[in-house]
Parts: sequence; structure tokens; C-alpha cells
Amino acid sequence: MNLSDLLLLLHEDFRKSFRVGRVKGKRTEQKSTLRRFFPVIGGTLVALFIIWIITTIVPLFGWPFVAELISENLGIGATIFNAILLFSFIGSIMVSASTVGNSSKMEYVLIMPISMRTIFLEKTIYVILYNSILWQLVGVSIFIGLSIASSSLFAFLSIPVFVVLVLGVITIGVSLGGLLGLLFSKLLAGRRTLKQIGWFLGSAAAIVVSVFYYYAIYSSDSGELFQWLFAITNALGFSSDMTPGYAVSALSLSVLVGVPIRIQDVLMGLVFLLGGVFLVYLNAVVSEKAHYSGWLASGSKRTSAKLESLSHATWNPQPIPGFTFNQTVSVSIWYNIASIRREGRVLAQYLVGPLRFVIFLILPVFAVGEEAMIFTPFLILAALIPFAISYGVYFAGYEIVYEGKNIMTLQLAAANMADYIKGKVYSAVPFVIAATVIISVIIIIIDFSLLPYLPAVAIAAVFINVASGAIAANAAAIGGDFKAERIITRQRGSAVQQPIRGWSIVRAQVIPYILGYAGVFGMLGIGTLVGAVQGALIGILSVYIFLPIYAAICYFLFRRYSHSAGVKLAQIEASKYL
Amino acid sequence: MIEALELTKKFTEFTAVDGLSFHVGAGEIYGLLGPNGSGKSTTMRMLLGILQPTSGTARIMGHGIANEIVAAKRVMGYVPEEPVLPERLTGWEYINYVADIWRIQRGPEREEEIEELLTLLDIRDASDDLIETYSKGMARKIGLVAALIHHPKVLILDEVQAGIDPRGAATIKEIMNGLRDRGASILMSTHVLEIAEQMCDRIGIINQGKMIAEGTMDELRLQAKGHSSLEEIFLSLTGGPDMQKIAEFLGEIA
Repeated sequence: MNLSDLLLLLHEDFRKSFRVGRVKGKRTEQKSTLRRFFPVIGGTLVALFIIWIITTIVPLFGWPFVAELISENLGIGATIFNAILLFSFIGSIMVSASTVGNSSKMEYVLIMPISMRTIFLEKTIYVILYNSILWQLVGVSIFIGLSIASSSLFAFLSIPVFVVLVLGVITIGVSLGGLLGLLFSKLLAGRRTLKQIGWFLGSAAAIVVSVFYYYAIYSSDSGELFQWLFAITNALGFSSDMTPGYAVSALSLSVLVGVPIRIQDVLMGLVFLLGGVFLVYLNAVVSEKAHYSGWLASGSKRTSAKLESLSHATWNPQPIPGFTFNQTVSVSIWYNIASIRREGRVLAQYLVGPLRFVIFLILPVFAVGEEAMIFTPFLILAALIPFAISYGVYFAGYEIVYEGKNIMTLQLAAANMADYIKGKVYSAVPFVIAATVIISVIIIIIDFSLLPYLPAVAIAAVFINVASGAIAANAAAIGGDFKAERIITRQRGSAVQQPIRGWSIVRAQVIPYILGYAGVFGMLGIGTLVGAVQGALIGILSVYIFLPIYAAICYFLFRRYSHSAGVKLAQIEASKYL
Repeated sequence: MIEALELTKKFTEFTAVDGLSFHVGAGEIYGLLGPNGSGKSTTMRMLLGILQPTSGTARIMGHGIANEIVAAKRVMGYVPEEPVLPERLTGWEYINYVADIWRIQRGPEREEEIEELLTLLDIRDASDDLIETYSKGMARKIGLVAALIHHPKVLILDEVQAGIDPRGAATIKEIMNGLRDRGASILMSTHVLEIAEQMCDRIGIINQGKMIAEGTMDELRLQAKGHSSLEEIFLSLTGGPDMQKIAEFLGEIA
């Protein structure tokens, strides 16, 4: 391993990701100075705000009080730092495997006179530094603020201690996550179907567990939310003084408040730092092994067997049984479903992922307490909307971008791009119907009296889905990062960076949610209101009178935005890719 | 100098390269020809250390690719068939990045050389643009500048002239001839058989990962009796077009 090579690789990776200087070339689209400096300005403002808040509030309580609070609660600090480790671990399970799997996209680096190990080491370090930006920004700002407020002579020394130790904690998390992903890859190497099922089940389990985790937080008595959280983390050993988080907490906070540092904490900090260095190096060694051994190879269909003559009829797959589409729509549906199905992890993210939205949107209501429980059936009904919308946004919006340059090189020039978009939108519908069936069964079990409303909501969900898909596809055509597939930190299905950027992602997500919730709650609200005045039957009927109007609005939006997205994509193809 | 000895690369059910041996001497251009999927790029990727051979080995200027790959890569330049370059760097930044990695001393001399190469390949005007804005031909030219900037003793070129404008192609041809005259070993693959015939001192034809013919043009003519052009030799060895199927197809669309 050569340190100067490592630093050069890191320098160029950061230059690619955080370019603030203007590109001089005439062919390159110029970004405004504000846009180029936005991350720097934004980060600085956030840091200044945090420092200002702390230096304003701490004097109100007095430094001795705050110092005592800090030194008596090192366990809480340990919990927070161990949580950072856990986040880094969970968020990095696919990182090393993705880097190795996508090594063909960095061939220009692989041919450089640098060992493969150094290359993979640099990629892991890059991810560690990238992941630490947020924690360092917030953490360093807090430590600067507290150091200003502190009466301790050496308080400012806590800042470098914090920086180094948090980097160590994130290094442990990212390296362990990366090693776990590589281990899965090794176990499943060459077993493509098993690998996809494994990724699907693993990803789905992670989503469901995280959903239960949030559910547990929300369903606890709201006033004791944090006590409950700390009790759980204590039980899990997060506040234990034998954890990396405790070492960060004990060393950085002790320096901050000026209390004597225990030698065992120093030793533990050193052990964890060295452990981090060892793990990141081990990650590079295993990545190198994985690269050369083809653990991540997707399994060629080519064989050395004798040539067989093949004949092809005109390809028109018609992948949704019972429906006939024109060839462009049909191929688009097939391609979308086939490409998503090939990546079990992405399929799980897409199909089970909306559970998170359900938790964020619906369950806070339960935090109110028992009185909110009367809304339960309606809330479960409303839980269908995130599925309908997310499937539209993922299958049409995200996939348009992830398909990226492929769309432009699939020789689709002769095809109607609006039809291609419609195919992507339609590809989500079978999954929305499946989600609707599951949720309908749950609702019938919970409250049978809602049965008359179910068909209306189910039909509305399908229309919301197609409208959402078209709106998201249009947003993708405006602000999609079509180069996304080439960047390590923007892998398909990754949460690191959205495939649709800027205001376009807001447009892709928020407008469908407004449309979905306004429509369904409007429909149910009319039904409930009219039912209260005119009787239940008239109430239900009024829902079904409203439904066609709402469906027509959704269908209009679907037509309009799929056409608009198609035109925009055709323009991109003609201007950027021809 | 390149020496490949019984190079073999097997994927799960597929043998891409099967016991390939060849030698490219100093001051020699060696053409590796073969149909699509015959194992040319896999062979090159093994020589470059991107892939590890399943068996067999190779030496680049005496450095074994198994245990001295970094030393081997230091003397090699490579232009892939589809250059995957850092799209968010400008051409100028990328070339300087490569120069830094190869430890070429920074300074006016280096800048002048980069300028010279960029101008030679008609890419100077675009060198301040992000690589993502480049056409395929421009990307290949930048890839060639990157391969040449460290004065490689061994040059591996995979379809380097594909997608390049005629002037660029002629320039590349002259550069390759010049490098050969200065003692470089050049391994190139191409599907343009006229180029191979004109430029290569020796040619190896591979099919399904195996070397099926090797030698100078005269030696190849002797091996494929009755055929005089490289195209005829190539088609006689690897199989020509299926004239009956072509006639059937043309009949269908008539």
C-alpha cells in the first residue's frame, strides 16, 4: 500500500463529488456560483446556527450545571455515539459489495500502477469520510459551541479528540457492514436466484424490523419516549463502558468539561481506533479477494456448449395477463419488471419500503394516546396511499433515471417515449393491486363496517398510482441524474443520494401525496358527512359518485404528465445523446 | 515485451480464454484478431491485472502479472474499447491525475507535453470540459493521451481506432508507428482487418479463446492456402457469413 497513491485517489474522488470551482469548458453546462457553493454555504450556516444556539443557551443555565450534566451522563453520550456506529453499519452493508460489483465502472483506476488492495481501501475510506460529513458537521459545531461556553482551559482539545474518535467509530461501522455484505456475496457467489431471494428477504427483514422499531417508539407513552429509548439501548448494551461509543463519549466529553481522564478509557479508545484501522484494511483485503474471485459476478449465460440455431418471433411480451398493450408499452412493462426483479434488494426496497412512510405518516397519530385508536381502520385505509404513490414514484420516476443512458441507447428513437413512460407506470399497477388486497383483508378483520368503502379506495389507489408514476416520471425527466448509475455512492436502490435531484424530487414525492391524501380523505370525508346527514347508504353512494370524478382527474394527470415526460426524454435523447 | 504463457480464464460455465500463448517483442506491433466474444478483451484485461488468470501466466517487461502486477502496470498504457473515465473531471484534470499517479514531475515540461498530445489528437479545445460531455471518439482520444503521457514501454490498445474521425485515426496510426520505432511493444485488437494488415508485424487469430493461427502476413498466407488478403484468411479460419441465411433474409424483406 502506498500512502501518496491513496491520498491522490481520495483527492480526485472528492474533487469529483464536491466541485466548487467553475468548469471552464464551453461544452459544459455552467452552474451558478451560488449553486456551486451551496453545500459549503449551507454547511457553514448550519454550523454557525448550532454554535450560536449553544453559546446562547448554555450561559442561561451556567457552565457548571451543564458540565455536571455532561459528566454525569456519559452513558447517554455513549448511546448516541454507538447509535452512529449502528447507523454506519446498517447503511454500509452493501457498500463494499457494490464497489466490487461495479469495479468495471472504474476501470481507469484499475489499470493504474496501484495495488487493487489500495484501490478498494481508498473506496472504503471515501465512504467512511462521506458518511462522517453529517456527524462531523453537527458534532464539531456542538463541540465548538460547548468549548466556547466551557470554563475548562483545554476544552478546545475536545474537538480533535471528537473528530478522530468519531471517525474511528464510523470506520468500525462501515468496515463491519462492508465485510458482512462481502460475506453474503461469498456465501451466495454463483447462486444467482438464491442470492436474489437472500437479498430480498434480508432487505425486507431490515425494513420490517426498522418499522417495528419505530412502531415501538410511537406506541410507547409519548411522554416517556426518550426514557423508553434509553432503556432499550441500555438493555442492548449501548451505554456500556466497554463499547466504542463509550470511549468517544468518555474521552471527548471529559476533555471538554475538564475532568480527569481514566487510563482505561484512553486504552479502550486506542484499541477501538486500531480495531477500526484493522477492519478497514481487512475490508480492502476481502474486497480484493472478492474482485478477483468473482463473488459479485452476475453469472454469464454464455457457455462453451455447441452453437444452437435460434429463431425469434416479433417480440411483444404482454407481461400483464388479461391486458393487451402496443409493443412499446408492452416492452417497457416487461423491461421494468424484469430489471427490478433481477435485484432482490431493490425489489424489497421498492415493495416493502413504503412501510416506512406508513410509520412516519400514520403512526404519530397513535402517539396521541388511546383516544386516537378510533381512527385506526381509517388510518390503515390511508396506509394504502403511500404504497400506491411509492410504487408509482419508484417504478416510473426512479427507474427512468436508473435506466439512464440505456433509455437513450436502446434504439428507442422510433418508439413513442410517452408510451415507454406509460409502460413504466403500468408496471407498478399489479403490485398496487397486490398491496390493496393485503390491506383490504387487514381492514375487514379490524372493522367489517368499512367494507363498502373498500372498492372505492382500491380503485382510487390504482388511479393515484398511475398519476403518481406519470408525475414522478415527468419530474425525473426534468431533474433526473441520468449519470447516477456510474457513481459509487448513487447505486440503484441506495439511500445515499436520490436519483432525482433538487426541486424535482420534491415535485415527484409531494404532489402525489397531496393528490392521494386529498382525494381519498376528500372521498371518505364526503361519504362520512353525507352519511351523517342523509343516512349511511346515501353516504356510501356519494363516495361512489365522487370516485369517477377523482379517477378522471388522476387519469388526466397521468395522460398529461406521461406525455410531457415522453417529450422531455425524447428531447434529452436528441440533444445530449445523439 | 509481452509474454503470455498458457493463459486461461474460466468463468462458471464458460472458458473465455483457453491456454493462450503469444509473445510481443520490443519494437513490434502484434494484432490480436478474432470474432466478437473470442476472448481478446479478456486476454488484455488479464495482462493488465484487472482479471486474474484461472491458470497460466504472463510477463510484462519481465514482471510477472501474478506477483509484480504494480511494476507491470507502471510500464503499460491501455486504451479500452469502451473507455470508462471519471466523468466529473475535465479532460485536463484527468490527464494530470494520471500523470500524478505515474509520478511524472509537475511543471511546465509536463504541461507542455500534455498540451502537445491534446493538440495532436485535436482534443485541446475540449480539455477544460467535463468528460461526461465528450463523445465516444473524444473519450477514446483522452484515454489515449492518458495511456501515452507516461511513455509506456508496452501499449495495449483495444479497438482504439473505432469511432475516431479519419484524421484522428491517421494520427493514432503515426503515433503507433513512431512508438514501435522507439522500441515499444504494442498489442492491439481491431476488427478493421485492413488496419491490422497494414500496421501489424505479426498477427494472432483467436477463436473461442484459442489461438488458431499466428504469424506474419506471409506466414498466415501459407497457413491458409489460396487466400491472399487478411480478410479472406480470417474468414476461412473463423467461418464466413452464412450466405444462405442472408439470401433468405433479403428475400423476406424484398
